[in-house]
Amino acid sequence: MSDKMYQPLSLLYRWIQENNELVNKCKQRGGGDALSPDQNKPHLRWCSSEFHKLLKKIQGIPPLADYLQLELTVVYNVCLCSTAQSQFSEAELLLTQATERVLQMTGDAPVASDPPVFWRTVINSVGDTALNPCVLYLLCLQWAIWLSTCQLKIIQECQDELFSVFETLSTGVWDEGRSELREKSSDIPLLVMDPRRLIELLQICTIIAQGAESLSEGRSSEALSGLQTASSLPAPRTLIAYTHLLSGSCLAHMSCPQMALQCYRKALETDSRCVCALYQSMLIYRQLGNTQAEIQGLRLLHSTLMLPFATEPALADTRLLSPSLLLRSQSLSSLLSVPSALSVLHNLALKCVHHGRVSDGVEYYLDLLAVLHSEDQHGVHAEGPPLPSLPELYLQAGAALLMARRPADCMALCDEVITTTLELLPEKVVLAEPEEKCEAETRALCAEGDDRVAMLLWAGAAYLLQGHCHTQLKDWKQAVTHYTRCFNLLVKARFKKGSFQPQIPSADMVGKQGTDLCILQKLKGLSLAGRGISFTQTDQLREALRDLQLSMQAFPECVSAGLWCGEVLWRLGRRWEAAACWEKTWSFTPQFSVE
Amino acid sequence: KASDWRFIRLSLCGKVIIFNCKRASATSDCERTELIFSSLAFQREDNTFLKAADGAAIISRKRSAHVDIVKCKCAINVQKRVTTACILVTKKSEKGESFQYSLLTLSSSNHLEPCIEFKLPYQMRETVHILHGPTVLWSHTGNVFYASLQAGEVRQMPIQVSHSVIGELPLHKEHLFVLGLHNLSDQCSNTPSTSQILGYFVESGQVFDGTVILPHPYICITRCILVLSAEKVDDVLKSAVIAATSNQQLVYFENGIVKDVCQLPFEQPENIQVVNTGRNGCLFVISFHQGHVCAMWKETFQIASHWSSVSSVHVDDFLGCGTDQMLLFFKDQGITGQPLDTFLLTDLCGISYSVRHTFYFDSGAPKTPPPSPESDLTLRALESRLQSGLTVLQELQREVRVKDRVLQQSVRALTDVVSEIFALPVQEGLIALWDCDDESKDEALDDKTQDMPAVSSKPQVDKLWHRITEERMVVGVILTTDIIQTQSQVFWLPAPCSSSSSSSSSSAYMFSEPAAKRSKQHYAGTPNDLNTCRVAVTAVTRLTPLLNSGCVKCRVMLHYMTVHYCLFLFFCTDEVKEDLLSLMAVLDRWVFHIDSPEHSLGNIDSWIQKRVGCKRVEVSPQYLLLNSSGPSALMLLHWHQITPFQGELSLQTLQFLDSLLAYLPVSCSIQPVKGTKGQGATQIFSLALEKEMVSLIECVSSLLCEEEEEERKSLGHEETPEPGSVKGLQRCREVFQRDVERSRMRLSPLVGVGRYRRLTQSIYSLKEHFLDGSDFLTKYRKLWQAILVL
Repeated sequence: MSDKMYQPLSLLYRWIQENNELVNKCKQRGGGDALSPDQNKPHLRWCSSEFHKLLKKIQGIPPLADYLQLELTVVYNVCLCSTAQSQFSEAELLLTQATERVLQMTGDAPVASDPPVFWRTVINSVGDTALNPCVLYLLCLQWAIWLSTCQLKIIQECQDELFSVFETLSTGVWDEGRSELREKSSDIPLLVMDPRRLIELLQICTIIAQGAESLSEGRSSEALSGLQTASSLPAPRTLIAYTHLLSGSCLAHMSCPQMALQCYRKALETDSRCVCALYQSMLIYRQLGNTQAEIQGLRLLHSTLMLPFATEPALADTRLLSPSLLLRSQSLSSLLSVPSALSVLHNLALKCVHHGRVSDGVEYYLDLLAVLHSEDQHGVHAEGPPLPSLPELYLQAGAALLMARRPADCMALCDEVITTTLELLPEKVVLAEPEEKCEAETRALCAEGDDRVAMLLWAGAAYLLQGHCHTQLKDWKQAVTHYTRCFNLLVKARFKKGSFQPQIPSADMVGKQGTDLCILQKLKGLSLAGRGISFTQTDQLREALRDLQLSMQAFPECVSAGLWCGEVLWRLGRRWEAAACWEKTWSFTPQFSVE
Repeated sequence: KASDWRFIRLSLCGKVIIFNCKRASATSDCERTELIFSSLAFQREDNTFLKAADGAAIISRKRSAHVDIVKCKCAINVQKRVTTACILVTKKSEKGESFQYSLLTLSSSNHLEPCIEFKLPYQMRETVHILHGPTVLWSHTGNVFYASLQAGEVRQMPIQVSHSVIGELPLHKEHLFVLGLHNLSDQCSNTPSTSQILGYFVESGQVFDGTVILPHPYICITRCILVLSAEKVDDVLKSAVIAATSNQQLVYFENGIVKDVCQLPFEQPENIQVVNTGRNGCLFVISFHQGHVCAMWKETFQIASHWSSVSSVHVDDFLGCGTDQMLLFFKDQGITGQPLDTFLLTDLCGISYSVRHTFYFDSGAPKTPPPSPESDLTLRALESRLQSGLTVLQELQREVRVKDRVLQQSVRALTDVVSEIFALPVQEGLIALWDCDDESKDEALDDKTQDMPAVSSKPQVDKLWHRITEERMVVGVILTTDIIQTQSQVFWLPAPCSSSSSSSSSSAYMFSEPAAKRSKQHYAGTPNDLNTCRVAVTAVTRLTPLLNSGCVKCRVMLHYMTVHYCLFLFFCTDEVKEDLLSLMAVLDRWVFHIDSPEHSLGNIDSWIQKRVGCKRVEVSPQYLLLNSSGPSALMLLHWHQITPFQGELSLQTLQFLDSLLAYLPVSCSIQPVKGTKGQGATQIFSLALEKEMVSLIECVSSLLCEEEEEERKSLGHEETPEPGSVKGLQRCREVFQRDVERSRMRLSPLVGVGRYRRLTQSIYSLKEHFLDGSDFLTKYRKLWQAILVL
């Protein structure tokens, strides 16, 4: 024994020892306390540099068969550390150097840079020797680098090689051999990460990345088959959940919403941290028109998002190379994106109000406002639609409160909007035509103008809501005051169309839905109608009739104005006119609008 | 001619000596070849080298003789015990058949004296070394030759080696050594198995193991070597060596172990020298082929500086300040040919003199003024300030690291606390979304029914059979039933009809339809669903009582709900399936629940099948037969995957589990399933033994710990006595005595009877628990009681 311990193997033996000590240190640190990858960085850097030093020593001697196995093992360790630190080009360089040395040892000529040919040559040149697994491990690392740098095309090209590597390594053919050697483990160089775990991780991550790519290119059915096989692979929980999630997305694209829902459910069952599945199933429910489920989904999504950000439990096996490092493709991250908690909450509130759950909606609105006030935008990792502006939220909340018969609260909110906007209100606002708006050179100007228009509309809406509140409280006098304020504010807006400036908008201009002009007209109509109704209540029938008729002119779809106009006419004894008015009103299809 | 202008420089005792071989053709009578030398000393004030002495020696008087300087170097003259400049010149004979070599030394009186002369039939082609002695060493056609003053003749090293490395050791007796690769066999490979590194001391002719200086793979690639230190401790050579390799590396070895490696900036290293710069440490100066030079700090093993187009490098104390400097002469781009026109004299730590312009050494004026001593001092002050600044910075960095760590830990603790609070509601919330689905309800119901006595139709008995193995009889019933509560062994059988539809063919890919549209029949095959299931119930009984009774008709009692069915047993035809089931009933089985919460298990079934000697049992494909070549014989395996993260494995020998564990993710847990039928005696025993072991270890360690703790307590109030006075000395002795006693006690500790009894009692009670009712073990119990009495 001492003979063997001594010369001439001692150099190799010592280097193996050095490698194994480093590997143990590398593993120990991570295994002892589950640090997040960020916290582990200095340690990883240290390990990496130590491995580098060792490799430099080993590569200082000519490539000998005895030493090459150790060398390739150390290269594997170094490259893994480098890859874990996202130093891909460095790792790739090391891989090339190592394979060159292998070819140098076997006496084969260096080959073309075409990856599949290159690796095939290297694998063939080592043949069935002890080096074969080591070279396969290196190929795994090359695979990892390709995957991390989203070079899915090359992976596709090398599919045959990679698949055979997977077959050889994943079945654990060498395990038998290794377990026999376990007793004298000090003689075999250790690896920082079990290559079988690595290849399992690579396999599933590749399928997921490819699936996401195919899905984004519209080849859903193709992606689906791969993802389905991937879901039975050995992998971390998160990744299994991803396969179900992406299968669901594929099925949703293939217009099989129910099957997609099943997949999303599986994803959630597999990994409760998979919030995206919840979000996607909510979207499916929305698409299906299942409002109850959608609202419930939104509520769950919100409460899940509000949970403290649960860090993934670091697995001892995959700690060095996290799946997130391997899954960096754009298409996948867009598939996995989830809107922010606030945006979800707003959506939830809006949905509730729209679907008759006013009291719930009010609560959600109040929660939302409270969150917005209490902290400066907690967790604004918001992808997707941004939140509406604050006054708009206030007005929405106010409307909800009004619907929930809480006029006092609604008025308070409206006061808030009025006080903030009133000072900034311009004397005159010019409403431009939407066509003109889009011109590039005037965009900045338009943006400013837009702000002012929006301000005007917010204040107007706030007054209108206050009028409604007073109406609800049967305080007709106050109602009239607020409706009047609203109307007075709204007439400040002027319209501009082309060269001439019509003062009063014509009916054809109002036709376009959603424009500022449309909203303005609607507000005008509603405020006049409100005032008319209030006048009616105080028996000022003449004024009432005037307002209601004006209202119908400004906003012909206003049903209540029509109805009340008929009522006033009836009371005034103009029964034929009243009947005609009612008839005309009923002919409109009732339309719903909040603002 | 250009060859006539060949200068060879050498440094000795702070002076530069320039040799030049010159064919003097001035005089007509004889054409002689002269060796001219001049010794130059550096003048700090003028920043130049001035001639201190010169001389010449006639080497050849023959006209046709071709004289060449081979090498010149300083070496210790053993006889005179001084370092002298040695110069080796060669004269080619007229016919070109033989070569006359002579080593000349420069004496202190500035005379060139011939030292060694020898004739060779060939010209030295490879590197020639002039070393301690002076000795001339060279290798030719795989042999190493040397000629020295002592030997007086050319000798050949007795061992044939390839790839020789020649060096000098700073040892007392043996100075010169040759390392080489000695082939053990005739094959030309140089692997450690076929060749061996031998070292040879030139002076003593002793052979030693060369790996104590250079390890095996380095012999072939070492270009030059420098031994930093060497000593012989108990006849073992300890050495510190640096070697420059052909792989562009400088490697530092200690006792033949690679300690450090530095990448060199140039190829083909030729020589390594050490510069001792005093308090700033040591520098290695490595000169390369084609005039590259690099300097490297010894402490950090990092490149300090490098130069190109250098014609020679010398290390000496040229300034006479007590530390070494290096002197670099640059190759002149012009054709002036003057030897000392551009040079750099530096130690990289403040001393720097250089002339980069062409000038004649005997009349030249310094073009760059020498740096003033003030600037040198300023530089040192700045340097020390930089040093102190660096240490402060490092301390600050360390503090920041500590702070970071504390912060991270507290944040982690906080998130742990918070996540614990919030962990539960999510899970519940998630279920609420899906509870409209009727299936989960069904499953929940299924779970419950396993514990509840069911209220359902009576089972249909499909088949009844029996087998006799060894001394036991197995009786089995195959039932079609919906719900079963089991006390005896039950094996789930696949439903006969569903086998075709549920077969998982790998070729055809089919995406399973969602459960909402799926008929219940799909589930029928899986053991999870108990609604319509075929099961085999087996029971094992000892055969002897049955035989003794003489009655061939016996009863099998099937306890089902509250009704007792009595079935009569008939000896019917054999079937393989029944064989298998019987076997399963008789065999000792381990059932393990494998749970991997964070990492899915993957396809364990296919992994098992891919193992050598594994095949499916034809009659009941859910069982696998493993015929491994190892010590364990045939084994029946059954893998049942519950979820992607959980599964159940039943098997007979645990060796298989070992290799399975290597396959499974590290985070998974394996637990033997409790309450499995047919726990054999071996299982009970092994479990009992395990518990016994664990408790014994606990008891004993606690016993010893207590002892130690008491000891420590008693030690606590004991001050160390002053050894000054006689009394103190006495007390010292007492303490020492006590210490001796204590260490003796610790080797064979004494344990109080009471405590020992407590230990045995606890172990006995443990045994009692296991051995209850087992008459086989009464003896064992008695033994323990005997121990207790003791």
